Amino acid sequence: MVTQAAAVVDDFSLQLTLVLFITVVVVTLFTVLLTAPQHDEISEFYLGNRDMSPLRNGLAMCGDYLSAATLLGSTGLVALTGYDGLLQLGGTVVAWMMVLLLIAEPLRNSGKFTLGDTLALRLPRGQRSVRLALALCTLVVCLLYLVAQLVGSVALLTQFIGDPSRTARAMCVVVIGTIVVVYAAIGGMPGATTIQVVKAVMLVAGVGITAVMVMQHFSWNIDRLLSSAADNSNLGDEFLGPGLRYGGTTANKLDFFSLQLAIVLGLAALPHIMMRLLAPRTTQVLRGSVVWAVGLVGFVCLMAGVLGLGATAIVGREQIAEVDPRGDAAILLLAHQLGGAVLEALLSSLAFITLLGVAGGLTLAAASSLAHDLWSEVIRKGKAKQTEELAVARLAAVVIGVLGMMLALLSWGTSTATLAFLAFAIAASAILPTIVYSFFWRGFTGRGALLSLYGGLLCSVLLVVFSPIISSHPTSVYPDADFAWFPLQNPGIVSIPAGFLLGWLGSLAGGREEPAAAATGTSAFDEFQVRALVGTDQG
Amino acid sequence: MSQNPPLHGGFPSPPPTGMEPPGPQAIHHDPEFHAMRRAYGSFGTVAVLLAAGGFLSYVLLSSFAPDLMNLRLVGHLTVGLTLGLAQFVVMGVAAWRYTRHMSKRIDPTVRRLRAQQRQREQQQTRVPAGRRFRTW
Repeated sequence: MVTQAAAVVDDFSLQLTLVLFITVVVVTLFTVLLTAPQHDEISEFYLGNRDMSPLRNGLAMCGDYLSAATLLGSTGLVALTGYDGLLQLGGTVVAWMMVLLLIAEPLRNSGKFTLGDTLALRLPRGQRSVRLALALCTLVVCLLYLVAQLVGSVALLTQFIGDPSRTARAMCVVVIGTIVVVYAAIGGMPGATTIQVVKAVMLVAGVGITAVMVMQHFSWNIDRLLSSAADNSNLGDEFLGPGLRYGGTTANKLDFFSLQLAIVLGLAALPHIMMRLLAPRTTQVLRGSVVWAVGLVGFVCLMAGVLGLGATAIVGREQIAEVDPRGDAAILLLAHQLGGAVLEALLSSLAFITLLGVAGGLTLAAASSLAHDLWSEVIRKGKAKQTEELAVARLAAVVIGVLGMMLALLSWGTSTATLAFLAFAIAASAILPTIVYSFFWRGFTGRGALLSLYGGLLCSVLLVVFSPIISSHPTSVYPDADFAWFPLQNPGIVSIPAGFLLGWLGSLAGGREEPAAAATGTSAFDEFQVRALVGTDQG
Repeated sequence: MSQNPPLHGGFPSPPPTGMEPPGPQAIHHDPEFHAMRRAYGSFGTVAVLLAAGGFLSYVLLSSFAPDLMNLRLVGHLTVGLTLGLAQFVVMGVAAWRYTRHMSKRIDPTVRRLRAQQRQREQQQTRVPAGRRFRTW
């Protein structure tokens, strides 16, 4: 009887989720078609409406930044491991500070359409090979993160219909992937912005309302929330102390540090975030937007912590782990307990929209890097017409979407988190060193950029190949083989310093590549710094 | 705002005959720009080190000094959880200090430099345009 009742509610919840999801998709698709770039101008396709208010920009940034991994994965991690999960949420918040303090304004002032344009300004010599390397890194990071989102959609589907059949899996990935491609290829940046703003508003509202309900349940007493969470975890006070997820051996602890390092440094260097930073027309609007995003990201992460603790306190840790050992179901189970099928449907459609939004932003970022850096600047050597570049960008969005779908179907068993963390590690060890050196180090050269881009990428990928993720562990891809000589699952602790070191060594080895212009006594770095700090293109 | 002559402060400036380099070079030789660059750099370094370094040492403390982190402060609130909440406070304070620093120390100089730059560009474009007109 009980199971039957649960199944009926779940059916209703699934239908409601579908209705909500389809409604949002249809409405946003129409908006995308209405706001789609009308003229064949690449600036409109890449940057969208540049005159949006700081609040709307901030919402779009928050939408780009917080993926379903935060909404489902981090809350689940809090529900299962308490303290360690909360630490993860803290890392997400601190990573956004890196965007505000380190990257946002210099990038906006010196940038045009992609990060490649900024680097070309900074390293005018050999800019084509730097653009090529950057396009490759961007493509790898975006594809990994895109596959993570699509695999996440399958995992989400599993919450509703149990282990999905081959067809259901393929259908889910293809439907989500196709919507993503439509957003990116037809809508360009205006389309991506629409969905991000809608998603961010839904996210803030959904998470806020559910958190209020949790707090109401514990009559706004945080200590009661903590104590019931500790009691219902069956772990007692251990739940509120460190070490549940990454405790025990030193290798485990280092693994955790390595992951946090990759999150704090890598999230800021994700290509779709940087593309979003270029959109505001003036530095003032950008600053306001990023500060809005600070508030929104902080709010959502704080509420996610409350939701995770609430899930353990109200649903119980073991029941969450039973439904999904990774904990991704925590927030949905909590919603079901608190608000019945309606709230559950609201949050699960929100999770699907979140997936969709981030995947759209990623596809667009990868497509613009391919079209602008690879096609227009490297292959056509800057002679491509705008209409041609635009066609290539739309085509690239389709290709990347299809590639992502295929990879997601091949690797559907991999955990979303593993793929996402690898993307962060690559972003932190390949893209971030190049950005930081370009902005702040006079001696940085094209050779250094190439070494740190290729070296950081190769180092992170190789370390993962020889890690327990791929072999030697029962949960790895090849559990029977054993070539895992690197003990950590997260390569960041080695590959990030390696990326910085390679950039430094490469720049030293090449000697001074850019002699100061004899007449004026200023080098490319001087001119770049003036651009980055003053932003001479604005009034 | 429109003080043109003391543009080049302490530097041996070329005579203002309209031959001076346009764009970034002129700004680069401005001592005010260098002061601003230093202010920007030092604030950025300190803020990044505090935010990222603070958080990463918190992670290390959690891993390697769990006893300290498990110390109870009030009720179930431990030192570790309090430090975790403090991350959010630090973030708010850092964002507030950043905007204040930028609007007080950086923005006025940036506005002035941009205005000077615009003036220079106008002067540069005006002269050739006039000449072209005369030859016609």
